[in-house]
Amino acid sequence: MAKTSLFYKIYNAGPLLLLYYLCISEVDSNLEKIFEIFTLNFQIILIYFWVLKRPEIMANGHIFLAGLINDVVMGFPLGISSLSYLIIIFVGTYVRNKSVNTTIASDWFTFFIAMVFSNLLFFSLLNNFSDLDFSNSKIGYNMFFTLFTFPIFWFLFNIYQMTFIGNRDA
Amino acid sequence: MSVSRDDFSIAFRSALLQRGGAQKFSVLSLIFLALIIFFLDVYGAKFTKPVRGFLNDVVYRITFLASTPTRFFPQVSKDLSKYFNVKAENERLKAEIEKYKSLELNVEFLTDENKNLQKILETEYFNKNLSNVVLAKVLVDKNSPFLKSIIINKGTRTGIMKGMPVTHNNYLVGRVVETNYLSSRVLLLNDLNSRIPVTLDQGAQAILSGSGTNNPSLEYLPEDYKIVDEINVFASGKDGIFSPGTPIGITNLDGEVELFVDPNQLSFVTVNLSIQNLGKL
Repeated sequence: MAKTSLFYKIYNAGPLLLLYYLCISEVDSNLEKIFEIFTLNFQIILIYFWVLKRPEIMANGHIFLAGLINDVVMGFPLGISSLSYLIIIFVGTYVRNKSVNTTIASDWFTFFIAMVFSNLLFFSLLNNFSDLDFSNSKIGYNMFFTLFTFPIFWFLFNIYQMTFIGNRDA
Repeated sequence: MSVSRDDFSIAFRSALLQRGGAQKFSVLSLIFLALIIFFLDVYGAKFTKPVRGFLNDVVYRITFLASTPTRFFPQVSKDLSKYFNVKAENERLKAEIEKYKSLELNVEFLTDENKNLQKILETEYFNKNLSNVVLAKVLVDKNSPFLKSIIINKGTRTGIMKGMPVTHNNYLVGRVVETNYLSSRVLLLNDLNSRIPVTLDQGAQAILSGSGTNNPSLEYLPEDYKIVDEINVFASGKDGIFSPGTPIGITNLDGEVELFVDPNQLSFVTVNLSIQNLGKL
């Protein structure tokens, strides 16, 4: 597909549009109504994968803005989701700079590290600077399901990348 | 050894400071910006409150528009199933009307009796002032694993203030925790941060605590109190915020309270402004 074609541009913008849509709309990745403990942070999976694979389609400024929108919709202090997403970008960019070839296993492991740092910052700030209480078990379930659904989305995003954008990785 | 340290520092610096191409901002500069915004918001600098309120109003409206497709399709399927069940529904409603007709006489008698008793006790009759109730539409109902709240389309312009009770069909659903000019955030009863004083059918007092799941639980019950199922739970009004006697839910065998209103199915709610008029907040 020619890189200047309209469709290519739309496909390229797809992940970013999805991120914005997830942050601003009522659509959520929490299936608590079906299975009470099933919640996952889809946004960080989306950001990590695309920062790792195609950083040029996930600009830092857009991710920062999506984080601010997420804070407004969810009722968190402004800037806290942005910080958490920026930690994901930082770890993703670092891993990208350090590695030549990536596999699903290495991406999965480094995603775990990124998620731990990101959530650590997020919940430490919330705990110390807001009145909101959180259940530790909910945080645990959220991290567990986010981690264990990562490979599924890794495959789906890879298929999207190869089908619509083209694989640029070694 | 020193080569690997150099590699680390180069990759680290690059990840923090890298710009160019699609990346117009470095991660480090955005982290500083996010921290500044965060602390300004948390420590509530005077100018940040109206800015945050304006932002909230704009984003909530956009969220409402962006969520329209997700609301449209479930509504269509719900309407279709309602259409096919209309005959059975009609028969059921007729039977219910007959039942309520007989109950109405009892209710009328009990209401009069209740009013007379309240007059004797010189207590306040909270529900007399219906003009203090505002009907609001639910703009956003985003299901978060950590915060159970909804956004409604009425704010300080309509007289809504922080702490006001919110009901649906006279059943308590939560209280206002954040107000903007055109919108407000309502903390639902099942949120982990929700605590309200309640009274049970037999007169026992307790605190209804949200647990983050669908059903909140009862805390601080009398020591010898044994929870049984199907006990009605009402707001006790001891906090001066919730009207005493507002029904909330019914207990189950697990000691939890099944709310009369499903917090995930709210479309319209009412906000009781009488607290403001009574000057209790």
